[in-house]
Amino acid sequence: MTIEVELAGIGKRFPGVIANHDVSLRIRPGTVHALIGENGAGKSTLMKILYGVQPADEGTISVDGQHRSFASPTDAIEVGIGMVFQHFMLADNLTVLENIVLGAEKLHGIGDGARTRIKEISARFGFGLEPDQLVERLGVADRQRVEILKVLYRGAELIILDEPTAVLVPQEVDALFSNLRELVADGCSVLFISHKLDEVLAIADDITVMRRGTTVGTADPRTATKHQLAELMVGSELPSPETSERTVTDQVVLALDGVTVTDDLGRDRLTDVSLAVHRGEVVGIAGVEGNGQTELVEVVMGMLRAASGRITLDGQDITRLSTRKVRELGVGFVPEDRHRHGLVLDFPLWENRILGHQTKPPVVKGPLLNPAGARTDARRIVEEFDVRTPGIGTTARALSGGNQQKFIVGREMSGDPILLIASHPTRGVDVGAQAAIWDHVRAARREGLGVLLVSADLDELIGLSDRIEVVLRGRLTGTFDPSQVTAQDLGAAMTGGSAA
Amino acid sequence: MTGTTALSRARTVRYTTIVVALAAIVTVSAVRIVTGADRLTTPGTLRQALIAACPILLAGLGGLWAERAGIVNIGLEGQMLLGTWGAAFFAYHHGWLAGIVGAAVMGLIGGLVHAIATVSFGVDHIISGVALNIIGLGAVGFLAKSYFDELSGGGPRNLSGYPTPPTLTIPGISDGARSLADQHWFVVSDVSAAVAGATTNLSILTILTLALALLTAWALWRTSFGLRLRSCGENPQAAETLGVNVYLYKYVAVLVSGAFAGLGGAYLTMVSSSSFTVGQTNGRGYIGLASMIFGNWRPSGVLTGALMFGYADGISLLPKNGPLVHALLLLVAVFLLAYSVFKFRAGELTTAIVVAVIALGALVWYFTTTRVPSAFTGMTPYVITLFVISVASQRLRMPAADGKPYRRGSAG
Repeated sequence: MTIEVELAGIGKRFPGVIANHDVSLRIRPGTVHALIGENGAGKSTLMKILYGVQPADEGTISVDGQHRSFASPTDAIEVGIGMVFQHFMLADNLTVLENIVLGAEKLHGIGDGARTRIKEISARFGFGLEPDQLVERLGVADRQRVEILKVLYRGAELIILDEPTAVLVPQEVDALFSNLRELVADGCSVLFISHKLDEVLAIADDITVMRRGTTVGTADPRTATKHQLAELMVGSELPSPETSERTVTDQVVLALDGVTVTDDLGRDRLTDVSLAVHRGEVVGIAGVEGNGQTELVEVVMGMLRAASGRITLDGQDITRLSTRKVRELGVGFVPEDRHRHGLVLDFPLWENRILGHQTKPPVVKGPLLNPAGARTDARRIVEEFDVRTPGIGTTARALSGGNQQKFIVGREMSGDPILLIASHPTRGVDVGAQAAIWDHVRAARREGLGVLLVSADLDELIGLSDRIEVVLRGRLTGTFDPSQVTAQDLGAAMTGGSAA
Repeated sequence: MTGTTALSRARTVRYTTIVVALAAIVTVSAVRIVTGADRLTTPGTLRQALIAACPILLAGLGGLWAERAGIVNIGLEGQMLLGTWGAAFFAYHHGWLAGIVGAAVMGLIGGLVHAIATVSFGVDHIISGVALNIIGLGAVGFLAKSYFDELSGGGPRNLSGYPTPPTLTIPGISDGARSLADQHWFVVSDVSAAVAGATTNLSILTILTLALALLTAWALWRTSFGLRLRSCGENPQAAETLGVNVYLYKYVAVLVSGAFAGLGGAYLTMVSSSSFTVGQTNGRGYIGLASMIFGNWRPSGVLTGALMFGYADGISLLPKNGPLVHALLLLVAVFLLAYSVFKFRAGELTTAIVVAVIALGALVWYFTTTRVPSAFTGMTPYVITLFVISVASQRLRMPAADGKPYRRGSAG
């Protein structure tokens, strides 16, 4: 019961963008086929074409040797292709059962017949789902299982998974992979889209690489290395986060002195933190998520209030200043969640350029905004920081994660800051954009900025920082020299195993 | 484990509903006896309440259909207005059955306009709805002047003398319940008054209305058609990826919504009164929308809300209702105090205090006067609407994609 799907010469244009051209891909029956590529390489568009959400402008899709054209997902479902979207397609206020049978009511009805069938599939693959549970009560991993079950319920033989691991924690990824292996053992094929190379090497039988809208090669996961794949994806030598000469001065730009932050319930989130960042220095903060990194950044930015202690910026007390005042004093801030804090997704880029700088030229003139100035400067950022976008009138939402992040970095480096706070600057960003962002951090350091870098990527921390501080349960528990330390040492310190 | 908790939760909800309903009946009965305002629950009053509730229920169900598919239909008022004219016109020329159908068709045309604007052209739902209300009022004025002015029994803004749907009285039950109601016993008489009110001179259209409420509940929650329709209101992109024709379902929902509102208009011209006047709806479309929100976008809730608003509406229409509305003050005070205690126990101190203060205000008003001036009694349904919505609007769950624009191909 397996199908063989082949895509040949697929092309798709959107106004101003060529999303896909001459894409060819063959999925062998009963295998996990990985499609890898940077953000914006055209993977998601290709999948939407294969699933009938959008029509292709050119090229052919054939299933088991026969040419097919899909006008809607219904047609794709009919030949046995099912898709799990990156952003789940579930209605929160409906039950698991309702979400699953929707659109496939004819198969087993919407009552007990469907219930039995769902329980059956759920039991066979160890999903552990209850048909009558409301979806809004489920966690992310369970929602993903609902999505997969939805596809299986329709008898799909090829399951497309669009970046399925992006939202999962490592244990959940393992569980997903064991689910996938069982599916393949059962005769299904899986098309696995990702840019996480470790995972791809762990699960795939075949690998196809996409770059700039087209397929650029295939690889055998048994022989390929992460490094080779990454170079195929980027199309050039892989960057590394190494920094060169020391530029650290003895001028303190940011100093925290005995800062304590408590939450609404009176518990300490940060306890007695003292820290100094000098001009030309990158201070890395390492820690397992939830140990106070977020609070540390937010208290400096004035988004949280310190319960006690003192924060100074270039000698000036900023402990009680508002976020706007702190920013006006020359702090650039790359937030950890760019959708919640960094951008208004439905604003065009040039309006996003104004945000956070609404009191400083060139985006204001006297008491009024200066759209012309904002446009010009947004154009400058797009060029200098290599933001790939059709134009500055494009909404931020339309950009890929890496380009959004490059735009934010560009904006935050505007207006001559003296301190840059970067929280997970390369999270969810593809390899190319990652290298660019590293370059900008290095450039900032060279220009004499102090940089506070919070990251979960230990290679990034070790490569970029002049000094690494480990935060554990709200306290700074150790200082490391990045030229001496290994990721293993840091990992041990972060979990409280041993401190240097 | 989760399945059983879901089941037991459903059971708890049902149990709570029954207890609350019983408590409400007992409270009403007690207030009637304390105040001596026996007219609070005579068969006549309750029949009036039912008649007032039906158009609100129809509008509310209409709103429910549209919003469950994700379209806000604030144009219910305009569609009801079209229905009033359609009922009068077709009933005058072709009999009462044609009147009912004609009203539904007129409402459906209003719905079609709304659907074309909001679904096909992506116009903001509120703007389209408000436009529809204005158009409805204007169109009805124009149509009445063009078609009714020359008829016998007609005028430029009104029409009478058309056949209305027959009524029926269920023998035995009606008389028995009525004689029980006349005893003014605690609880027993109140309940039998309700039975008597619902079995005496019952219009065919009332039966149809209640049947439509049942049909709505069944169609939207027990059929795959309903599941698809509701999915369009919760997550149209998801529905699209599963092969649901979202535009089609939205169209159907808004057309049904308009037809229901049109029937609400027919009810006003054929049952609530026996003549047509321009602007007969008097905001009942909006009250219907309020009853839908109060009912948390569920048919049973809409029914409860409509009955409550209908009761207030019915009382405001009774003659010499000063003492009656006065007695209602005590009832409102008791309900608000109960709600305040409930909120206090839930730990929402601010809400509890605000509600308690309002309740005390109503109590003070009750004890320092003997009647409510007639200038105020006509406001009763509107004031109650305002109160109930402000109190009830805290734990509501509207369809997740309600009122949001949707374009085909936007999935993923």
